[in-house]
Amino acid sequence: MEKKIAVYICTGCGIGDALDIDALSKVAKGEFKVPICKTDGQLCGPEGVALIKQDIENDGVDTVVIAGCSARVNYDVFKFGSDKIVERVNLREQVIWCHTADDEDTQMLAEDYMRMGLVKQKNMNVPEPYHVESFSRNIMVLGGGLTGLTAALESAKAGYSTILVEKEAELGGYVGKMYKQVPMKPPFTDLEENCIPNLVKAVEDAGVKIYKSATVENTAGAPGMFDVTIKQDDGTVQERVGAIVLATGAKPYEADKLGHLGFGKFPNVITQSMFEEMAVAGTPEASKVAFIQCAGSRDQEHLPYCSAACCIESIKQALYVKEKNDEANVYVYYKDIRSNGQYEHFYMKAQQEGVVFVKGDVTEITEEDGKLTIEADDKTMGTTSLADEFDYVVLANGMVPTAALGDLMEEESTTDEAAAACDEPKASTPPIIKANLLNLVYRQGPELPALKYGFPDSHYICFPYETRRTGIYAAGVVRAPMDMLSAVEDGAGAAMKAIQCVEVTEKGEAVHPRSGDMSFPEFNMNRCTQCKRCTEECPFGAINEDEKGNPLPNPSRCRRCGTCMGACPERIISFKNYSVPMVGNMVKAIEMPEEDEEKPRILIFACDNDAIPALDMAGINHMQYNSWVRIIPLRCLGSLNLVWINDAMGRGFDGVLLMGCKHGDDYQCHFMKGSELAEIRLSKISETLDRLGLESERVRATTVSIMDYDKIPAMLDEFAADLEELGPNPMKDFQ
Amino acid sequence: MVTPDKERAAEQAVPHSFKKKRGDNYFMEQKKIFSEPVKYDLTFAREIYRLENGSYIKQCMNCGLCTVSCATRDVMEYPPRQLFNLIKLGKKEEVLTSNTFWSCTSCCTCKARCPRGIPIIDVMHDLKKYAIEYGYTDYPQAAFYKAFWTEMSSRGKMFEGGMTARYFLTRGLDEIVKAMDMKDVGISMLKHGRMPLLPPKKIKGLGGLKKIISKAQELDRKEAAR
Ligand code: SF4
Ligand code: SF4
Ligand code: SF4
Ligand code: SF4
Repeated sequence: MEKKIAVYICTGCGIGDALDIDALSKVAKGEFKVPICKTDGQLCGPEGVALIKQDIENDGVDTVVIAGCSARVNYDVFKFGSDKIVERVNLREQVIWCHTADDEDTQMLAEDYMRMGLVKQKNMNVPEPYHVESFSRNIMVLGGGLTGLTAALESAKAGYSTILVEKEAELGGYVGKMYKQVPMKPPFTDLEENCIPNLVKAVEDAGVKIYKSATVENTAGAPGMFDVTIKQDDGTVQERVGAIVLATGAKPYEADKLGHLGFGKFPNVITQSMFEEMAVAGTPEASKVAFIQCAGSRDQEHLPYCSAACCIESIKQALYVKEKNDEANVYVYYKDIRSNGQYEHFYMKAQQEGVVFVKGDVTEITEEDGKLTIEADDKTMGTTSLADEFDYVVLANGMVPTAALGDLMEEESTTDEAAAACDEPKASTPPIIKANLLNLVYRQGPELPALKYGFPDSHYICFPYETRRTGIYAAGVVRAPMDMLSAVEDGAGAAMKAIQCVEVTEKGEAVHPRSGDMSFPEFNMNRCTQCKRCTEECPFGAINEDEKGNPLPNPSRCRRCGTCMGACPERIISFKNYSVPMVGNMVKAIEMPEEDEEKPRILIFACDNDAIPALDMAGINHMQYNSWVRIIPLRCLGSLNLVWINDAMGRGFDGVLLMGCKHGDDYQCHFMKGSELAEIRLSKISETLDRLGLESERVRATTVSIMDYDKIPAMLDEFAADLEELGPNPMKDFQ
Repeated sequence: MVTPDKERAAEQAVPHSFKKKRGDNYFMEQKKIFSEPVKYDLTFAREIYRLENGSYIKQCMNCGLCTVSCATRDVMEYPPRQLFNLIKLGKKEEVLTSNTFWSCTSCCTCKARCPRGIPIIDVMHDLKKYAIEYGYTDYPQAAFYKAFWTEMSSRGKMFEGGMTARYFLTRGLDEIVKAMDMKDVGISMLKHGRMPLLPPKKIKGLGGLKKIISKAQELDRKEAAR
């Protein structure tokens, strides 16, 4: 069906003063023959919106192109139903606010953006949501410790059928076996009774379906349709669930490796969990006890990271000793006391009770007549210090996530012909450790991809719970080392995410960060060469393979980043409203001035997540930069298809700049691998440039975070200056 | 380019205290106090904890903010936090013979800044009192304190001449010789009417003041006996 297009140009916010609106209308009406093109002094006001609604009603307009402010504002005002296409041409933040008013070049920029917007909508269709078959709203929680119980309780309380799977015969996990717990409420100074018994009861009362002594044999499917096979002694059961919370916790670091601290040598050198057991059995009367912090943690030879909970756990256990014997001498040897947040009060409480904190590294532990002596390199006194007559030395031996316990998955050697044929640089594959937790039936491997130290990868700033397997949310100490208070927060947070996932999947929408997006990749399969690149590059393992080696997409696992679209050499992957031809045509819609006009053109592909907001911010702050640039937003740099760059250089663009998020270990890419993949793809472009006789410096990638907006003008102007030095792209005149 | 002049200016801009590293150091590289290993023994600490503000030192977290805030840290043998640690180590002699609390001018900066709310100047007062009580009065400051106290309690107000005389009497001849260095200050003070030549009159209700003092001392004794 032919689209019925209407263009609305807003003249408010100074747009009308800075630009020649008539000329702009002519682009729509003349060049593009748009039947309806109107202007309004304040399009976002009630009258402006009414004007649009009227045309929709009376003239059957189904495609609305609004030239005015950025798509990042007023999106709720310009909402006309999911069956309408709304395209925004950003004349405010990216044109008049950052370029000279009443200027030929600014006008050309605005007109090009109008052309790009009109071409874009031509290539867009209304997305139809994908609905999962035999959809399940159930939520499964793996692990019945503090985090898992909290997650299960929260999800059940919110009205979702919840299933809890626990490996041991009893619920409670590590915390369940504690004598007492660290304070969880103000004033954060007093030991508390163990909360697990009450929590277990609450979970049972809330009607959570509980499997004990159970493990997950395998997890197949996708959000809304996970089929989980649960193994118990007497056979297996299958459950269909919509989303999963992984809360399998951590294990104490192996104390056997701490021989240098006397473990295994002296019976009274024990671990925190051993001391906890003794406390449950009735704390032994002790007159002198020492705790050694960071035993294994923050140590390159053992665990390089801070285990986050052991400082306050030791403080708690020090108070056990004081509780039993007020006169006891208790020492804590530490590097730094990391009593995060409110636990500073707990730390001070222990000091007030007379626990002595010694800042120093323990250098030796010896024993005589069953009493232990500690020698330390005392940092406060700047000398060696001794303390003796200890009944017990307790090692705060840190934690290892259960996700890290297992063998690393071997990378499969690609003997495949098609795959071997494209032996180009590849993105680093994330380590997957066979930890026997989820046993995913995914082509990409059985567990969650890890980032570092075996903790599951997630975007730690914006989406801490969202792992790289959509619909599976990690929480608690399996996700990151943390104390009990944070674990409770994590459990609730992950349950919330699981609920969100179920809700949006049912509607056929994407989860974060493109929440609400109903488009998903579609494959024109008869041209697929089975090169597997889409399968391998999808950061979320959304694409499986069928027996014949064809890609088998799982739309509800998909986060709609478009990485597969950028990867496919055959360009057969597209979304209803985002495709290789769409962006390609936008590039082509930009007018290319002749070389002698001395008007360079710079194409910018900017990521929607950070770069575009940063560019908008630069506009909001009225920062000025050159008007040679033409910006095209991409869902993620991962969706960058090299053909666009080839086209652009062939058409005479003087340079192309990619603006994406930071990658590497502390990446900020919202789709984890997008910007890294884009740069890897970019490394292949120099060959093409050579063929065209162009310098490789003309095509560059840069990283920006939203906070870098103030650096944007310099970034763009520097690039323009460099290009000027290289001279114009000679391809211009071949047009 | 940095000219030598600018360089010098930059150097001068560095606060004096950062150039000279005495007392505590601010960069974690520690001054060696003892060549022999030290041993923790909490007996002395427990005694100090019983002083009026003594138990506050338990909650010191070794941040060092007091040290960097202290105006007299350059002359202190041990900065406050190290002194507190010495107490925990049981180094009674070192603590009581140190000049730390005597050097404290009660400026209150440390107390105002201590993130753990330790009233450091009050702890210093307690330590002074404790030291005097146990006869650790070798420091000139101890004599000065005593002279000040006797002068105040007998007159109800300050007479600089009287206090100086008392101080020198306790300290002996050496100090008098040294004091001659300061005669210009004294003369100048006299000239500007900052110091009377003759003792001022005693305050009116001296009897009342004495009563207040003895009541306070009585309360103090009761407190200590508890
Ligand atoms: S929490 Fe404390 S003891 Fe544990 S690793 Fe971190 S700093 Fe060391
Ligand atoms: S690469 Fe992105 S768009 Fe493609 S299937 Fe994976 S998640 Fe979806
Ligand atoms: S869809 Fe494209 S990327 Fe995926 S296997 Fe087929 S040809 Fe390769
Ligand atoms: S500022 Fe307070 S807590 Fe910090 S070292 Fe000094 S006394 Fe201790």
